[in-house]
Amino acid sequence: MKVLAAVKRVIDYNVKIRVKPDNSDVDLTNVKMALNPFCEIAVEEAVRLKEKGVASEIVAVTVGPKAAQEQLRTALALGADRAIHVETDERVESLGAAKALARLVEEEQPGLVILGKQAIDTDNNQTGQMLAALTGLPQGTFASEVKVEGETLQVTREIDGGLQTVELSLPAIVTTDLRLNEPRYAKLPDIMKAKKKPMDVKSPAELGIEVASKVKLLKVEPPAERQGGVKVGSVDELVDKLKNEAKVIS
Amino acid sequence: MHFDFTEDELAFQDAARRVSADVLKANAARYDDTRDFCAESLRALGELGFWSMNLPSEYGGVDISSIGMSLAVEEIAYHCAATCSSLTAHFLATDSVLVGGTEEQKQALLPQCATGEKLGAFALTEPGAGSNPAEMRTKAVRCEQGWHITGTKHYITNGAFADFLVVYAKTDEDLGHRGISAFLVDRDTAGLAFSQPEKTLGLRGSHIYEIGIDCVVPESVLLGKEGAGFATAMEVLDRGRVEVAAMSVGISRAAYDDTLAWSQERVVSGKPLCRHQGIQWMLAEMHTQLEAAKLVTYKAAAARDSGQRFSLESAVAKLFASEAAAKVTDQAVQIHGGYGYIGDLPIERYYRDARITRIFEGTSEIQKIIIGRAITA
Repeated sequence: MKVLAAVKRVIDYNVKIRVKPDNSDVDLTNVKMALNPFCEIAVEEAVRLKEKGVASEIVAVTVGPKAAQEQLRTALALGADRAIHVETDERVESLGAAKALARLVEEEQPGLVILGKQAIDTDNNQTGQMLAALTGLPQGTFASEVKVEGETLQVTREIDGGLQTVELSLPAIVTTDLRLNEPRYAKLPDIMKAKKKPMDVKSPAELGIEVASKVKLLKVEPPAERQGGVKVGSVDELVDKLKNEAKVIS
Repeated sequence: MHFDFTEDELAFQDAARRVSADVLKANAARYDDTRDFCAESLRALGELGFWSMNLPSEYGGVDISSIGMSLAVEEIAYHCAATCSSLTAHFLATDSVLVGGTEEQKQALLPQCATGEKLGAFALTEPGAGSNPAEMRTKAVRCEQGWHITGTKHYITNGAFADFLVVYAKTDEDLGHRGISAFLVDRDTAGLAFSQPEKTLGLRGSHIYEIGIDCVVPESVLLGKEGAGFATAMEVLDRGRVEVAAMSVGISRAAYDDTLAWSQERVVSGKPLCRHQGIQWMLAEMHTQLEAAKLVTYKAAAARDSGQRFSLESAVAKLFASEAAAKVTDQAVQIHGGYGYIGDLPIERYYRDARITRIFEGTSEIQKIIIGRAITA
């Protein structure tokens, strides 16, 4: 079975995010970028499926600027067999990415597409679901366990208040939650070998799609700075402040 | 002059940063506290291929540039200088084989050293021969079974934990440094007596030993040619000094990062420390020392990659980066005040760990001799 693993280039989770002074966007100058952690879990799961003999080939894919090839290379170092880069300098949002992925699903005919449930940059949590809608394939989102049994896939999903297990027919779309697995570290020899693995570069035009977002980004603001706390002298003063200043009780 | 790293170099830096932050950081304080050998952290690095960074692919290495290797060493030292020291000691041992060994010896040993199966130790220094290795008294005399080696080595990193030791010994006492040869001695050879690990000021997770040697080894363990040991050791140390510089940069950067963050949080007399000009000047000095140390280190690594002689560059890097680490970690303690002096924060550990970088693999004074001779030659 061929597995398509979608990955996204995002700001490294260790980096403290800064907003540009003109509030037009997040400042990416000299900021360390990395593979989205949920996508890393997706790649890891694909590699584990291959190690179990369930998957035969892993194709890592991304939609983004030329620099996003670094993240494809990370996926290749972790165990993907080849990569496809849909190169664009447009600001790509969930729908654009899903359209590109849908075209790749058509071309590659994978048995399973595995994606992170969301990217830690804009936290949209949409691409997997949109891809399922565009391709008409069944979806198992927020997976904390994935089991392939013959032609079906059992996905344990993390939902409010517990776990839900769904059975999907293959081919299918899976999005990964945090507890699906603990991704391995890339080994140095594999990092070097990743360079020699094939990487196809395609333009959105070649795929016959447009990826540019139709949503206009108006303003990006950092969260309000936390104010320092105060010491209250009595319970009455506390209740008064909660009522009249914080307005959290009435 | 280019200041950009290659994609490979950045990938190695990133790989090292991750394992350092996730695995090495978690063990570092414990090793320092208990003086346990940094076995787990060292093994984790081995499994991921970090033991192979100094080797070409024909011997199981990864063909990374010296710059890429220095970046990785810096990241490893950032969270655990002790593990870094044991790793770079391993490089001294495998570099000895790479530089001085026969093709057969390289093929037989180095691939296992690359994968983390075999750990090496570099046994050059003696109680009476540190900066002056030509005055070593360990000797190897031909005997029926091969060589009879007798003597004492001191400050041998990894010592009892190593699988093999590269032992330097005099095979001809009349020839001075040209009478020195190197031997690949298996750790389990009868006649090796290891002391308890020394009680060190810093790098407590990286053990150093005194080793009493009275053993008979086969002819085949002579590393390369008889009499070539001193030349091998000097070239190995040229290489190793780049790593000591990178390690010093890693310790400095850890101390600087922690101190900068602290200075922004800690409020004194109504404003954060970093808003006091006196503290700002100290931070500026730390930053400048660190930046300069990085540059001489990367330049030495680039010189090593160029294939030309790089003794001067590596001595400059080692001297400057280790002295910078002393200054930066000292100022880190000063800015932290009492908090820098107690064990709750890693600041005092950085201070202690940095101290040895001015001593091992040639003291600062020896580096000045090397530099002085080179520039006046």
